[in-house]
Amino acid sequence: MVNDALQRILYVEDDADIRKIVSMSLEMVGDYTVAACGSCADALDVVDDFDPDLLLLDVMMPDVDGPTTLSRLRRRASAADAPAVFITAKVQAVDMAHYKRLGVFDVIVKPFDPLVLSDRIGQIWQHYRNREHDDAG
Amino acid sequence: MTTPDEIVAMELARLSATFVAQLPEQVQAVEDDMTAWLDEPGDVERFEILSHRVHQLKGSGSTFGCPGVSRAARALEQSLGAFRGEIVAGRLPAPVAVESAMTELQNEARQARTRSPDPEASP
Repeated sequence: MVNDALQRILYVEDDADIRKIVSMSLEMVGDYTVAACGSCADALDVVDDFDPDLLLLDVMMPDVDGPTTLSRLRRRASAADAPAVFITAKVQAVDMAHYKRLGVFDVIVKPFDPLVLSDRIGQIWQHYRNREHDDAG
Repeated sequence: MTTPDEIVAMELARLSATFVAQLPEQVQAVEDDMTAWLDEPGDVERFEILSHRVHQLKGSGSTFGCPGVSRAARALEQSLGAFRGEIVAGRLPAPVAVESAMTELQNEARQARTRSPDPEASP
């Protein structure tokens, strides 16, 4: 179920330091609840209990990349409908078309400033809610 | 009173200082992975390990205040990427461009260390 206010973010990033600063920013600045996972396997372990409102995924990860992680999360009812946001430096037209085919709602381009990430996520969520409202109307 | 933004900024500064302090080890790890790959340039697994480490360095460099390191890592990543198809096709590359990009990464890492204050030093 989609909430009006964004509360829970499932975040998957293999780099521990980046995971730490992004989680900290989202929690402290954005006041979101974050489940920070280092891999697809970790995300699959927590997703059902966490019941995320939004999925935030790094694209290039070892073993299982972001697109594959997304497809596996989508098979879970708890993450089937949550908007997905990729974090990546690969944003050429061909890449963006690929993300769109995967059903990715938006992309945060690397490098990004961790200090303004919460605002960016808030904007993306608002855009998502507006679109949902328009579709429903 | 310290605001959430200030707390995150302080943690970002701390992680950035740690990143710079650990750059020699990180670059050495890239060098080791490259040596392992060049010993067996047709080994896809070694190539992917090297590529991923370089990719991580690119991302960390930009997040933790070392754009020169990030740029050099990106150039190395692109040089490696040019070989991906060759390796998958079983053709062995001539890695001159990769070695040149590696040298640039080493130089950028040295410069980043020179510019940054020692995080262990007393204020």
